[in-house]
Amino acid sequence: MRLKTSLLKEPKHKELVSCVGWTTADELYSCSEDHQIIKWNLLTCEATQVAKLPDDIYPIDLHWFPKSVGGKRQTQAENFVLTSSDGKFHLISKSGRVEKSVEAHCGAVLAGRWNYDGTALVTVGEDGQIKIWSKSGMLRSTLAQQGTPIYSVAWGPDSEKILYTSGKQLIIKPLQANAKILQWKAHDGIILKVDWNSVNDLILSAGEDCKYKVWDSYGRLLYSSQSHEYPITSVAWALDGELFAVGSFHTLRLCDKTGWSYALEKPNTGSLFNIAWSIDGTQIAGACGNGHVIFAHVVEQRWVWKNYEITLTKRRTMEVRNVLNDAVDLLEFRDRVIKASLNYEHLVVSTSLQCYIFSTKNWNTPLIFDLKEGTVSLILQAERHFLLVDGGGIYLYSYEGRLISSPKFPGMRTDILNAQTISLSNDTLAVRDKSDEKVIYLFETSSGKPLGDGKPLSHKTEILEIALDQKGLTNERKIVFIDKNRDLYITSVKRFGKEQKIIKIGTMVHTLAWNDTCNILGGVQDERFTVWYYPNAVYVDKELLPKTLFEKDASEFSKNPQIVSFVGSQITIRRADGSLIHMNISPYPAILHEYVSSSKWEDAIRLCRFVKDQTLWACLAAMAVASKDMDTAEIAYASIGEIDKVKYIGSIKDLPSKESKLAHILLFSGNIQDAEMLLLQAGLIYQAIQVNINLYNWERALELAMKHKTHVDTVLAYRQKFLDDFGKKETNQRFLQNAEGLEVNWDKIKAKIELEIAKERERAAATPAVRASITIQH
Amino acid sequence: MAKGILGEAGLHFDELNKLRVLDPEVSQQTVELKDECKAFVDKIAEFKKNVSNFIELVDQQAKAAENEKIKAIGARNLLKSITKQREAQQQQLQALIAEKMTQLERYRVEYETLCKTEVDQNEFIDQFIFQK
Repeated sequence: MRLKTSLLKEPKHKELVSCVGWTTADELYSCSEDHQIIKWNLLTCEATQVAKLPDDIYPIDLHWFPKSVGGKRQTQAENFVLTSSDGKFHLISKSGRVEKSVEAHCGAVLAGRWNYDGTALVTVGEDGQIKIWSKSGMLRSTLAQQGTPIYSVAWGPDSEKILYTSGKQLIIKPLQANAKILQWKAHDGIILKVDWNSVNDLILSAGEDCKYKVWDSYGRLLYSSQSHEYPITSVAWALDGELFAVGSFHTLRLCDKTGWSYALEKPNTGSLFNIAWSIDGTQIAGACGNGHVIFAHVVEQRWVWKNYEITLTKRRTMEVRNVLNDAVDLLEFRDRVIKASLNYEHLVVSTSLQCYIFSTKNWNTPLIFDLKEGTVSLILQAERHFLLVDGGGIYLYSYEGRLISSPKFPGMRTDILNAQTISLSNDTLAVRDKSDEKVIYLFETSSGKPLGDGKPLSHKTEILEIALDQKGLTNERKIVFIDKNRDLYITSVKRFGKEQKIIKIGTMVHTLAWNDTCNILGGVQDERFTVWYYPNAVYVDKELLPKTLFEKDASEFSKNPQIVSFVGSQITIRRADGSLIHMNISPYPAILHEYVSSSKWEDAIRLCRFVKDQTLWACLAAMAVASKDMDTAEIAYASIGEIDKVKYIGSIKDLPSKESKLAHILLFSGNIQDAEMLLLQAGLIYQAIQVNINLYNWERALELAMKHKTHVDTVLAYRQKFLDDFGKKETNQRFLQNAEGLEVNWDKIKAKIELEIAKERERAAATPAVRASITIQH
Repeated sequence: MAKGILGEAGLHFDELNKLRVLDPEVSQQTVELKDECKAFVDKIAEFKKNVSNFIELVDQQAKAAENEKIKAIGARNLLKSITKQREAQQQQLQALIAEKMTQLERYRVEYETLCKTEVDQNEFIDQFIFQK
């Protein structure tokens, strides 16, 4: 990725330019100390003077009123706030008319920022005060006061916190009066500029110590740049939070959100006092110390999938290279390319007006449809369809360009969704809510309606990242998520009636990705690179999960690696310094998944015997139990030396009826309640009681026995035996009550049990057809 | 004799026997003096002219010298600033080189991992072929 800069031969402003701001993707306003406000139109390459301010107004900062206000979107920003050195801020309309001037601070007003919904304005000044103003410029409160000037201020993502500078310190202050303030020393020199992104919640700071740094919202340092030659005078996040720009003397840098730098430009600009990203995130403008306004747009983004490599060579041109035969195709677009995504044999490109869908089989005839609104902020692909997110909503399209659905939930804010907080699979869409970060909304993709009973999935702590698995049956759709403590959890998406368990399968997980062809999960866990070959194993046999993992030392990735893609058996990880690392995992688990999904158990066993790998056998064991194929499970368990389980499976096979077999398989997976329910439904009361007795679940056993008025004596007998074995006395009130006047007669009990088993056998014999097919039932 | 008498009366005769009030000798000397004076004045005027010419010339020279001097100073300053400029340029290029180096390092790391992948895959293929 690179910046292509353009600079006029002669500066339009006579003095240094102090601030710039975009109105649309092609229109920019700049203010300078020569008192001019100039409007730049990039389509016609014109720069016209909008207004000349009075001679005593020296502008310092400008910020356009946010475009989307309370869900309603205006097509264009209508006015902006301009702060000046005489202690005032001015509300100025698009035509350049000063609508209002407000005396705000003693000394210069150094920065002014609207919050995200445009309901409040914050200004900071040389007098060290932070003031909050209403939309019309009425003073609401003085939030804080300190002894040093405040050079820069930024709103938090929810507009409820404010980040500001205090010398070498950064301070996050919530708007509520008594909430806790977060304060930390961030730089060795005075901090000149801060920015806080609403999408990824990361903070940027730049200072006179010639460094720029990236922080998370808890004040943890994620990246610190090397020392530059000159102080860093400006930093700015792109709206989607993927990139940021850094400005210094004769320097313009483009960086990834993790801090490493994509490109460096050394234009002849003097110091860059202010940088602004255009709304679509493709261009930046910089206010230069020598009166210039520099424009730069981002080119040479790359997308790679399997054997295709696509580069955005110019603003409207893409080059597709097929690495296998070196064939090159050029794709031309009518408008500027804003976003693109390449996956599942399709390339989806959004320009400012249209969406193009290319198939990798045919680059010549894309499918084109018009977009409702220009700025697509995210494209997400699944095998059957893809998703576009823009400021107005979430839209699901098929690869034929047909709108499938547009899921919604109350209080949805689409402008802050990113690939971590939204996940798409063939049948399900998951979105993490912003207003309550503990909640995940699940939708059916075909209808756009909430899944199941419409209740969202909720967790006990804040969720950072979610991912849906891509393959397999809809009923078995799984979602994994990382919470605030960096623990990895898995749960089922379908939740009919009973609450599905949310099971923890990893700790200190930095990043994760599902494989695109089978349900294998890859991630970086603490210091280890981990692949969960069969995450579903936790629902089958929890102890088996560690055996189905592939682990590798990940120290070579340094800290904070990110998984870029997990395609086929190739996993690509981006290190914190920006370098890509490609890794190959064994292809066998994927093949195994394929066999199992088509119930080719013989082939699966043969594969495992060929590979002779314990991990693979463990996967097969778990898969077989999940599909209730006990023969395969027995072989697989035997191969990994789990003799106890082989025995148990053997005993299951000897059970007389289908119901008890199923129940015992459920028991095997630890689903005691399900097993009991199944037995009760089948009328096998004694078996249900016996299950509870075996589990020493005495109370429940007695309860069942009493309820069905059978085998009370059996329960009591076993209880008595248990107590005698351990030399204990009965203390349970209910057992004492029932034991009164009941003589335990083992012979009678044994006879009764025999009778029950015979009865079950008889029943099973009556329906032999069913008995023969206890295999897979999806 | 008459001459003497007339002389006492203040009258004289010149060679042409014209009657004169002034003694011809004195008169002649006066005339001579007058001529000499005229010649002197002329010479002085010429001298003055020459001197002014000279001054003008010197002034011009001085001006030229001053110009050259300023030029020299300017050139010297330019020289100094060019070294500075070069330094700045060098610094900029160094920064660009450093950037490219980090990019190169990234590519090197990526290349290495790709090589490793290739080795892995070849190994896998070999293993596969031999086992079959």
